[in-house]
Amino acid sequence: MAEKETTLGTLPKRDGNSGGLAALIKKSASDKMGPEDHVLVWPNLVYIELISMLFATALLLFLSLISPAPLEELASSDTTPNPTKAPWYFLGLQELLVYFDPWLAGVVLPSLIIVGLVLLPYIDPNPKGKGYYTFSERKFAVLGFCFGLALWYILIVIGVWFRGLDWSWYWPWENWHHHKPITGGLVDLEVIIGKTLGMSDTPLVTLGRYGVTIANLITWALFLGYYAIGFSVPFLTMRKFYNTLGFVRYNLMMFMFLSMLGVPLKIFLRLLANVKYVLVTPWFKI
Amino acid sequence: MNPGGKKESPQNPQQQQADVSRRRFFTLMGLGIGWGGFAAALGGTSVGALRYLFPNVVYEPPTVFKIGKPDDYGVGVDNKLKKERQIWVVRNERGIYVLVAICRHLGCTPNWFDDQKRFRCPCHGSIYDVTGNVVGGPAPRTLWRAGVSIDPVDGQIVVNFNQRQDPDPKGTDEGLMVDEKSREVPPFFLQV
Amino acid sequence: MNKLLDQIRENVTQTQVWKSIFRHGFPSNDANRALVMFSNVILHLHPVRVRRGALKIKFTWCLGGLTFFFFVMLAVTGVFLMFYYVPDTRRAYNDIKDLGTVIYFGSLFRNLHRWSAHAMVFSVWMHMTRVFLTGSYKPPREFNWVVGVILLVVTLVMSWTGYLLPWDQLALWAVTVGSKMAEATPLVGNAGPFGPELGMGVDNDVRFVLLGGTVVGQSALLRFYVLHCLGLPLVMALFMAVHFWRIRKDGFSGPL
Repeated sequence: MAEKETTLGTLPKRDGNSGGLAALIKKSASDKMGPEDHVLVWPNLVYIELISMLFATALLLFLSLISPAPLEELASSDTTPNPTKAPWYFLGLQELLVYFDPWLAGVVLPSLIIVGLVLLPYIDPNPKGKGYYTFSERKFAVLGFCFGLALWYILIVIGVWFRGLDWSWYWPWENWHHHKPITGGLVDLEVIIGKTLGMSDTPLVTLGRYGVTIANLITWALFLGYYAIGFSVPFLTMRKFYNTLGFVRYNLMMFMFLSMLGVPLKIFLRLLANVKYVLVTPWFKI
Repeated sequence: MNPGGKKESPQNPQQQQADVSRRRFFTLMGLGIGWGGFAAALGGTSVGALRYLFPNVVYEPPTVFKIGKPDDYGVGVDNKLKKERQIWVVRNERGIYVLVAICRHLGCTPNWFDDQKRFRCPCHGSIYDVTGNVVGGPAPRTLWRAGVSIDPVDGQIVVNFNQRQDPDPKGTDEGLMVDEKSREVPPFFLQV
Repeated sequence: MNKLLDQIRENVTQTQVWKSIFRHGFPSNDANRALVMFSNVILHLHPVRVRRGALKIKFTWCLGGLTFFFFVMLAVTGVFLMFYYVPDTRRAYNDIKDLGTVIYFGSLFRNLHRWSAHAMVFSVWMHMTRVFLTGSYKPPREFNWVVGVILLVVTLVMSWTGYLLPWDQLALWAVTVGSKMAEATPLVGNAGPFGPELGMGVDNDVRFVLLGGTVVGQSALLRFYVLHCLGLPLVMALFMAVHFWRIRKDGFSGPL
């Protein structure tokens, strides 16, 4: 106690400084600005926090009063409600499940999103735009991130407001209690290719359960070609871009980016050509 | 090394080198045993903890059950056991098979539409025909057929939920198809 | 009158009890404003001073702080809900019904819990977007971004485990669908690529361990309850501590 009082006693009381303690803080803070750019956290920040907490509490109370939590019928494993919707923040994933198999939409794609987010600070070497909003200094990063965000939000919006009975597409003005007619079946890309080019579907080689046909090999070529072209075009035409990233960063970044672009690509293939799978093997289908 | 305080006899350089390498060997061995033991204990505990999370006994509904005599089921899809047993009993001209009412996409329970002759899943819109083939939607495989047999004593159909027929389907214009003949084999089909 | 108030204040703040709790004077001068940050464990999350720019609402939108606030709100309302909830498939649904019908303010606590959960998911997501757009993940803050991603994932898993607890149709089917996805995990799920080849079946794969059985039933409810109320909050608290500590060490980002 006595010790504390002597420390306090030596501190200047009202000098616009924090009493010598600021020197200590500045050492650990990463920026190199003078004390005139700094303000005390009490009261400046503490009050902002208090007010925002009060607003948040008011908002939560208001929402709780006007919109009670739903409680449907008792769980029963024999009847699935139609449609079955996950909470809104998972509806993007649920919407992806229409276009991709569960291992891809439910496991691999979310994992890729998480890994991509984790890698993000390590594959962005641009030193500019730290600590302020800017678009012009980091166009590619902002556009790429916002593209992913937009994709995510669009899928959520579709899932929340445009999916009705049997997970069919319903416009808001349609009758949501009327089942949609069954639309035509979906076809694998290799079947379409085989039919168009008039190829036989007898396998060239058979590897266990896997009968490899020519059409199947073409789909492999298309799939791998997508990545191959995606990797090489920026490498060949934008060497400066490649050089700033380096080998490892470039490849990680391009893989993430091309996989992200591949998602809407497959969706378009489904919507335009009724393609069920781009690539078919007995073990996995994409 | 020299606990008694005895005078250390001068050793030739070769002897010294051997001493050093021997000491080094024992140090490394000690470290190896120590850290190896530590890693083994840690690994063993982790494996044990993981194994702990897999229950050996589960308290769940029975997976082998009787559903009455074959004569109880007419031609077509019988929807009445869906609620209780999660199955559809289907009779065609040749006999009876039992479809498992679990969508192969994400495990929802599809509904039978008698007017359309289709099973439709409410979760993501998968559509199956009466044989279980996928004719629309995202389902990656055809509906399971459960194992069926006749109890020799009372003549009832015994459904084995653990036995599931799951052939590799073939992609066609109409959807994912399986040759019906190859499916109508015991123990997944009753010729009655 | 003023004199009397001063006297009372003097008598309160000079007691041994008061001084043992508050080791600083009223923060009306700069020395005490600094000291309050040093000696109060909750306020100690803050530095003594921040850059003027970091205070702009349009810079942070208070999103990180609000996320933490929603977490606290969820912890408090969650504890209240636990007093009336039994994770038993025969009781759970009725317990939730009771909250809405026979317990004073039961529905208020449940609604607050639900809305806070929605708000937390939303604000965590917005916070991440903000941090990206201001480039605040750039060196030396890369690792804190990674911690943030982990916190985002834990938040989503918490929401998902909580979703099952009311044991209504919404709950059961959301979790049925979610656990089927686990079944489709490559290598370790019985319906995933190369899963069956590696010997995965319904009773030994990742879905089985998640649900503690082969169907979404009693053991799944118990597992989700334990994870939701205890396991995941502990993980969350650990990573939040690291997250806050890192912010405190590195300071707010800003142009150099």
